[in-house]
Amino acid sequence: MKPVIAQSGVVTAYGWGLDSLWDGLMSGRTAITSSDRFAERGFVSNQIAVVPDLGVERGDSRSMAMLRRLLTPIIGQINPKTPLILATTVGEIEFVEQAVLDNKPEYAQRARPLVLLERVKQLLGLTGPAMVLSSACASSTAALTRAAAMIRHGEADSVLLVTCDAVSEFVYSGFSTLLSLCESPASPFDCNRTGLTLGEAAAWALITPDSSSLADQSAPAILGWGNTTDAVHMTAPDRNAAGLSRAITKALAMSGTNAADVDLIAAHGTATVYSDAMEMIAFRHAMGAPRPTFSIKGGVGHTLAAAGLVQVLVAARAMELGVVPPTVGLTSPEPAAAGWVFGVPVPLKKSRLTLSTNSGFGGVNTAVLLGGGER
Amino acid sequence: MIRSIAWSTATHYGVLVPGGESFARPAPTPDEIIAVVGRPVKYFSRMTPETRSCLCAASVALRAIAPLPDYTEIGVVSAGAEACIKADETYFRDYVSSGRSMGRGNLFIYTLPTSTLGEVAIALSLTGPAMYLHADHLPLASLIRQADQLIADGEAGIMLALWSDSEAAVCVTIEAGDAQSPPVALRELPPLQLANQLRDKVQSR
Repeated sequence: MKPVIAQSGVVTAYGWGLDSLWDGLMSGRTAITSSDRFAERGFVSNQIAVVPDLGVERGDSRSMAMLRRLLTPIIGQINPKTPLILATTVGEIEFVEQAVLDNKPEYAQRARPLVLLERVKQLLGLTGPAMVLSSACASSTAALTRAAAMIRHGEADSVLLVTCDAVSEFVYSGFSTLLSLCESPASPFDCNRTGLTLGEAAAWALITPDSSSLADQSAPAILGWGNTTDAVHMTAPDRNAAGLSRAITKALAMSGTNAADVDLIAAHGTATVYSDAMEMIAFRHAMGAPRPTFSIKGGVGHTLAAAGLVQVLVAARAMELGVVPPTVGLTSPEPAAAGWVFGVPVPLKKSRLTLSTNSGFGGVNTAVLLGGGER
Repeated sequence: MIRSIAWSTATHYGVLVPGGESFARPAPTPDEIIAVVGRPVKYFSRMTPETRSCLCAASVALRAIAPLPDYTEIGVVSAGAEACIKADETYFRDYVSSGRSMGRGNLFIYTLPTSTLGEVAIALSLTGPAMYLHADHLPLASLIRQADQLIADGEAGIMLALWSDSEAAVCVTIEAGDAQSPPVALRELPPLQLANQLRDKVQSR
């Protein structure tokens, strides 16, 4: 049974829907803007990629506000017994902020990921099994692999994956403290890159077997995956890229394919000096010759838990249209990435397999192999 | 197949090994935890109490099933209803009290549900999958089922399933085998109650 992404939805700083995201990336302009949101805080950057026109009601969180609007069109459309996986890193972290700033400790309990899980279940009227999955910035990709595994093992007819993370003072201050933020919009794989830009996003995907009536013939298939840990450092990547390389090898082995079949790479591409360099080592090790490679983080920022699924949806569109989106912000590729990444759209000659990778704090790595609608 | 179940609380720790050597002892001191790990633990002093507890339980659980095959990749999954809320509060309270412009990196890195897994993976050189997976129904059983599935998919040869909160950590080691008939039945109890039950079981042997 081959798992496929039968249906999906997304919101990023480019706006609501995959068309907005795709058109934004293809335009080459970034959705990252200067913001005065944390102006008085003195952080090292004021660059953020925020979801536009997001009405956040009093007592609500930005994550839930994104999810409510994003998921409303599918209320009543999903079988209530469908298993749900919610992928997030910090969920509704604003409630922890409130607990501290307003001295109301009881608020912090509302930030537990299980509370957000229950709110999503209630919103969609779901009654089936549900779980929270967190694997740092590889969360939604790891969740995609668990959903695909559940389909492959015949545990469910469909699995709903929902992911979100918002930009908060909590997260912004933390990345500022770690000196991970750049002063201008992120420029992945550029030789002058200095750090990441935080963004926010939410997305959902319904994973089904390819035989499902919910999936059409063009639905991208999840053919293989691999999850690994560097076991080297809590925040820095393994400079040798051993963990990500093993994740890619696992994904290829599971899919029964080899690197020669990979025509496109959707990279994590955070624009931090060491993470991008680590990824290029892994890609060069696994692929040998260059493949068209892109990162969406110069356009929508680093959307943390949501980053993986968002880039997978972009990769699926790229396979469908036969075009590699530009890596927004790229002007001069670092030497190791030259011939792999491009600042302009380039035609995709073949689209047999796409590799999508993410890595995160704790040394986690996830690789997923997607097949186009050629089944 | 469950190979061992170890636990660590503020007052006791130990391991239950089906068909093997089990023990229950008073809680280890920090030096004793490092001795249990059996190798230098680089950032032990900055670890939260929960992370130390998880590291202790994971080390004891793994040691109980040694020797491990050289080729085996070991992964770790975890669950716990609190996730990392206490660490989140600690970081943000410190940041606010410091003038709200600069936090502490050594606190921020513990503000993810997978922070503990990262430290355990580094300390024990675990290179397989690492995920926080908390189900809203029967979370411990679900965690073990997910670990079984990761093994079945070839993602790891051995998986550790960590069930923890601020009071206790319980670590189950799982290896490929007959997942339908585990030699030990685990009850869905909060970590401390489960740890106490495991201690009582070992002491009654």
